Amino acid sequence: MIRHDPLAVRVAAIEPLSATLKRLTLESADGGALPIGSAGAHVSLILEGGDRPFRNAYSLVSMPGERGCYELIVRRTAGSRGGSAFIHERLGEGSVIGATVPHNLFPIQRHARKHLLIGGGIGITPLLSYLPALRQGGERLELHQISARDEVPLFENLLAPHAAHDVHVHAGRGALDLSALLARQPLGTHVYVCGPAALMDHVEAAAAALGWPASRVHRENFGAAGGDPFTLRLARSGREIAVGPDQSMLDALEAAGVPVPSLCRGGACGECLTKVTGGVPEHRDHYLTDLEKAEGALVMPCVSRAKNDLLVLDL
Amino acid sequence: MSIAFKTDEIFRDGFRYANSDAAILRFPFPFVEDSYMYSVNIEPHVRGGPTPAFDAVLDIDEHYIGECRERALVLAQDPNRCMVLPHMMAAQWDTLELIMESLAADYPDHFQLGKDGDRWTWRNRLLNIEDSFVFGAPETLPFEPFEYITRQMQGDFTLQDQRDGNLYMDGGMVTSQADWSLEFDLGMTFHEWHGPVPLAHDLGVFDRALQYLLRLQYGRPVRRLNWTMTVNPRLDTSPENYPLWGPDRTTVTPENVGDKLHLRVELQTLYRLPRSNAILFSVRAYLASMNELARVPKWGRRLHRVLRDIDPALEDYKGLGRYRRMAIEHLAQFDDGAPTGKGIAPEVDVLPA
Amino acid sequence: MNDQGIKSRPAYAPLARDPVGRTHLLVADSMAIPHAAFAPGTSLGDYDECWTVEGHSRAIPSAMPDARMHGFRSASHLLIALRRRLAMEYMGFRLYAIGTEAFLWDVAAAAEAAGMGKEEYALFHAGSGARRVLCVHCRTLNQGVTTNLVACGGCGAALFVRDHFSRRLNAYMGVQVDAEMPGERPDVEEIYR
Repeated sequence: MIRHDPLAVRVAAIEPLSATLKRLTLESADGGALPIGSAGAHVSLILEGGDRPFRNAYSLVSMPGERGCYELIVRRTAGSRGGSAFIHERLGEGSVIGATVPHNLFPIQRHARKHLLIGGGIGITPLLSYLPALRQGGERLELHQISARDEVPLFENLLAPHAAHDVHVHAGRGALDLSALLARQPLGTHVYVCGPAALMDHVEAAAAALGWPASRVHRENFGAAGGDPFTLRLARSGREIAVGPDQSMLDALEAAGVPVPSLCRGGACGECLTKVTGGVPEHRDHYLTDLEKAEGALVMPCVSRAKNDLLVLDL
Repeated sequence: MSIAFKTDEIFRDGFRYANSDAAILRFPFPFVEDSYMYSVNIEPHVRGGPTPAFDAVLDIDEHYIGECRERALVLAQDPNRCMVLPHMMAAQWDTLELIMESLAADYPDHFQLGKDGDRWTWRNRLLNIEDSFVFGAPETLPFEPFEYITRQMQGDFTLQDQRDGNLYMDGGMVTSQADWSLEFDLGMTFHEWHGPVPLAHDLGVFDRALQYLLRLQYGRPVRRLNWTMTVNPRLDTSPENYPLWGPDRTTVTPENVGDKLHLRVELQTLYRLPRSNAILFSVRAYLASMNELARVPKWGRRLHRVLRDIDPALEDYKGLGRYRRMAIEHLAQFDDGAPTGKGIAPEVDVLPA
Repeated sequence: MNDQGIKSRPAYAPLARDPVGRTHLLVADSMAIPHAAFAPGTSLGDYDECWTVEGHSRAIPSAMPDARMHGFRSASHLLIALRRRLAMEYMGFRLYAIGTEAFLWDVAAAAEAAGMGKEEYALFHAGSGARRVLCVHCRTLNQGVTTNLVACGGCGAALFVRDHFSRRLNAYMGVQVDAEMPGERPDVEEIYR
């Protein structure tokens, strides 16, 4: 039950869906069962290309609960020199790459009386995993996909297995009156939106203007773990320790052989509290008070980071 | 490691219960230092800890058969000790899967799980159970999946749904609790069901714990220890049956306190469930008498000091009022004033005879 | 009122129309709505409709399609109409309730059953402070309890009324006060009026 990132996965199949879209099927490199992915979950792929690994998050589109493989759809972003170009150009069937355990920050709300799904472009991916899960539970749903005109057939194809339901593909944002759609939803509806930030912002704003509470509006979110790399200096020894983009300060200190007492590793218990003597912390914990956070003299290295390149700790 | 399972234990009037030396040495003693106050004492539930009670994902021990039998008795007398709200069916299957997979992996001599696609076969050799069923089809099991599998577990379980930035207790199997009612608390938010706990609200403990749990990730379970005291080795100290066990508290005397008064420790583990995004909360209770625990010299000293110095509000909440003085006077004989080592490990491999 | 320090007991604040809502329905279990039910500067006139309980057997909601005021025979009569109304409403709807605690949480249960969340309904306690008390031992619901101790109508236990409140059951918890030592009880006081 205690899973260790990253998982080693093998690319079992790559299927081109269009000039810019590919569907990847990943299996466990050791042939065993994978950790369970649920509707709305994502994994981050860790791709060793060039001087530093790329780390890109993708929604799972495989059947929720499937443990034999993960499926995801990757769009090659224009001008990309990062992960999506790497996947499109350099990844082949049989390649072994790293993947994180699925994490779900966009889950189905089991209490909803109705589920209104709105996708924009490739933002359809998490909603593709919603459809079988909602249908299995006999839930009431309505889906609207907004697509560039030339990609309408592509998305109609992806949604074809669900065509018997209240599922619609629209050519361009202008083809769908979002306010009218939101205004006619019955009490107890939840709306889920995934797509370009402008679309998600628009749905949020239109829903709020029509009196939808914020708790009924859900937008895809891959979370903000990690951040920019920075350097720690230990005031007592003058030693410097690099903190990587996917590494916590606590992890970096431990890896460098500097023991810091810790317990929850999630910013709640206060055990790893450390004094700051230089630099400005970026607080992400739930332990320090707002005043303490503003003063910046204390930091919880298990979750917090630095606002600038250097943070000096009283260690 | 082989476990010598007891088969004749009784956890209600007519009590028959004792811990072997091995069971005492593996006891998850809850006091890391010589005093106690609430804190957010949560840590990752990694394999291994200060005693072997932390070695498995879900721990079973020599009391397994008796505790499952006691659970069946409680449910026969009060079926509402197991309730799950209808929107939690995915979480029910998540629970069944987690428990079956971890038991089969950690105790392969006693539990086996066979899978042929969605057709699963479960063998529990300790309780002589063998069932084939279709995963995802509740009608193929004799009970709903959550009740089916938690009837075969030591310890209580609750299911928390996550929505609106809160956790709601929307299901549970609660037959061996420290004086709280599942039926009454079902559907409550995190702060509501912790409402009766003194002090901790003002310390901000629940605000921080809630924020932490909302971010709990699949594959990264966490754990903490909690404790109270129970007169007699009674598992069902529920509010429902308080008229039955309340009088026990008046039966403690200076002569019997060492054997009658038990420390009740909960090894609480929390798991993010993958299909439902719910949280499974496992409350595994361990009972040991004062005299059993005092056979570990460090624990005898420390228990004396913790009870002597406890906050009066906690004394009341944990129901210690009627017998705390007797317990302190009894435990004083085990406290020679020597310093105790940090942490909960017993620091002995063998108990004195 | 005494405070046992238990945080599950509901707290209520005066009502104000939620400015982002599109339709606003106010329900009350009495025709006597106190001014204290409304936040300063607001009033009954802010709501699109107001449903009240008249408490006589000839009361009937108005048949006029655009009537703002409707009277009902009892709280039960009102709740039947409310459940039907919620089933036909749209997102953006807001519900407000004024009345005894038992009425408020019956309204809240109807709202939750219709899929509404805490941001979509608001409650204000007015009228009797009597409590519904669930005997945790025999599960009998004891209505109209005004005292700190009550003899359970089901099993006869002398129940202490805890401040622990279940919104789902719409009741406070009653626990036998003298289970440990029969007859060891505090004095009876009338505190929930």
